[in-house]
Amino acid sequence: MTRVARVLLVDDEERILGALRRSLRREGYELVTAQTPREALAKLEVEDFDAVLSDHKMPGMTGVELLARVARLQPNTARLLITGWAQAVSPGDKDAATIDAVLPKPWEDAELKDTLRKLLAARAS
Amino acid sequence: MEKAPSLVRIVVLTRAEGPDSCRDTLDALTQLGGDVEIEIVRDAAACLAATASGQVDAVLLDRASPQASGPVLEALANAGPPLVFVTDDAGEGAALEAFRSGAADCVRVGPDYAEVLPVVVLEQVRRWRQQAAQSVAERRIRDLQRYNDDIVQNLNSALVVVDAEGRIETANTTAEEILGVERGRLVGRVLWDWFVGEPRDGSPIGRTLSEGARFKGAETEVRRSDGIVIPIGLSCSPLAAAGGAVAIFQDLSEIHQLQRQVLQTEKMASIGQLAAGIAHEINNPMGFIHANLFQMAEYLGDLRQAWERVDDLQKAVQDLEGAGPAAPVGAGIEGIRQASDALTALVRELDLDYVQTDFAKAVRESQDGAERIRHIVKDLRDFSHHGSDDLAPADLNDCLDSTASIAWTMMKHSVVLEKNYGELPPVRCFAGQLKQVFMNLLVNAYQAIEQKLGGAGGTGTIEICTEPKDDGVAISIRDTGAGIEPTDQTRIFDPFFTTKEVGAGMGLGLSTSYSIVRRHEGRIDVSSRVGDGTTFTVWLPVDGPAGG
Repeated sequence: MTRVARVLLVDDEERILGALRRSLRREGYELVTAQTPREALAKLEVEDFDAVLSDHKMPGMTGVELLARVARLQPNTARLLITGWAQAVSPGDKDAATIDAVLPKPWEDAELKDTLRKLLAARAS
Repeated sequence: MEKAPSLVRIVVLTRAEGPDSCRDTLDALTQLGGDVEIEIVRDAAACLAATASGQVDAVLLDRASPQASGPVLEALANAGPPLVFVTDDAGEGAALEAFRSGAADCVRVGPDYAEVLPVVVLEQVRRWRQQAAQSVAERRIRDLQRYNDDIVQNLNSALVVVDAEGRIETANTTAEEILGVERGRLVGRVLWDWFVGEPRDGSPIGRTLSEGARFKGAETEVRRSDGIVIPIGLSCSPLAAAGGAVAIFQDLSEIHQLQRQVLQTEKMASIGQLAAGIAHEINNPMGFIHANLFQMAEYLGDLRQAWERVDDLQKAVQDLEGAGPAAPVGAGIEGIRQASDALTALVRELDLDYVQTDFAKAVRESQDGAERIRHIVKDLRDFSHHGSDDLAPADLNDCLDSTASIAWTMMKHSVVLEKNYGELPPVRCFAGQLKQVFMNLLVNAYQAIEQKLGGAGGTGTIEICTEPKDDGVAISIRDTGAGIEPTDQTRIFDPFFTTKEVGAGMGLGLSTSYSIVRRHEGRIDVSSRVGDGTTFTVWLPVDGPAGG
């Protein structure tokens, strides 16, 4: 990759964003955060991202809905949902079909890094 | 002379043989008029047999002392019908003897015999019949009393009658059982001595006696003789004629236990709905604590590497100091410089300045997360705390807060919660039960908002208002949700009525709330418009349930 991958982290919980930053600190990505889906969409309107990693339960819009919009705005972006809400992704939900990976919350650092790395590599090739 | 009452049966025991032996007596008896049946017997055994038939109104011992004496006479006297002695003896002794032998009366055969005998016999017959009628009436009363007694004693409810001073006059076995007193030991004792914490004028019975107040199913408690406190439902009314009161009460222990079970079941149902929200609420801090711990372990590794370099540097310094004055200084300084450069390089490579500050930040944030989890668990414990099921003064604003903070975990994404609390006096209540009411109303409000939003995003508002009102406290919970159809508004308090989808509730929430509020002698009202939202208003008296 010639360019540093840009990853958008979305969660209404500031501390989660902090923890995600820590987890991905040494991965060499450019990390951008948004605390609401609205803020995330505003950023997606004007900037390109290689991956969006979003929480599910957020005010105004769920993560599944946000990622479905991301798929329309930037189809090449990797879309990850991170949630402790088991029912968030039900099979057959067409919004959920746009998600590339679902990670549990709390997440395992290794799994998070690994999943993101693989998804980005698949897009770069 | 009066006519004889209906058919009169008289047995005449005569001493002499022949039909004329008692002609004068028979003639005299015809004066009785009406239907008279006379049986003439000539020996005591026959007389006794005739008398024992039970149909006889009087027995005449017509100058029959030789036959009727001793045990036979005694038997005749005890047989029932009156014995009338007829004697020739003009002396006082004969009459005395007759009365001593059990005679009801004694008639002397004289010139006025024909007039006197019928009067005497008639009088005796009347008395005897009256006596017989009275004993029938007495038996009837006795039977009726026994019947009433049977009913009273076998009532499933305790029944106690007290006099104007509250002393127990009548009590049935159920009363003895509930109050834990041996059979027959209640009568004469003062009833309100058993009531928990209530002086005479405070107890329903006291008020019935002093003011004539009537109570129907007032909930109160009695302390059984063995010290165990029993909840009872008490009804009492004054007894106007006797000046006392009658009290009927039931042991409510079992009913209370059932109510607690229903409450617990419904509580579990709403907790089930809340569980997902709470899990999410705990999961967020768990999420970052977990990730932070992992990162902190890495930071610790970085710092340990740096410490090793520091160790190297210290060794280099010690080498220089320990080498003695003879050793070349240059080599020692070179060692120190190398160690120092390695340390500097590592600090730069690992970005230890950042590690150091971020480590501290990660610790702080994790502490904060742990504190949040602790808080949620505490809220949960406060909410479901069993001990708050005691009747005690409580601050309902606090109760609303602890309930709302649990409910909030579920609704925070789609609800704006507004609290407008007035200053409230403490309310005597079962706080745990009222929290259950508040939780039901909040869950309903939230679900109504979700129903209106229909998954389209956005938020609704729930407003909680409290204010003191009419010797009580008014709490209203208003939502901007879907509202309740007018046809449903009359049914929402019915048990098992629900418009929610399967699994979202058993339809017990509002009926349980209704009965809890009623138990507190309060009111619960609803006003709702489809599309605009619903307001539930609960009013509770400051004094709480009377007699409780």
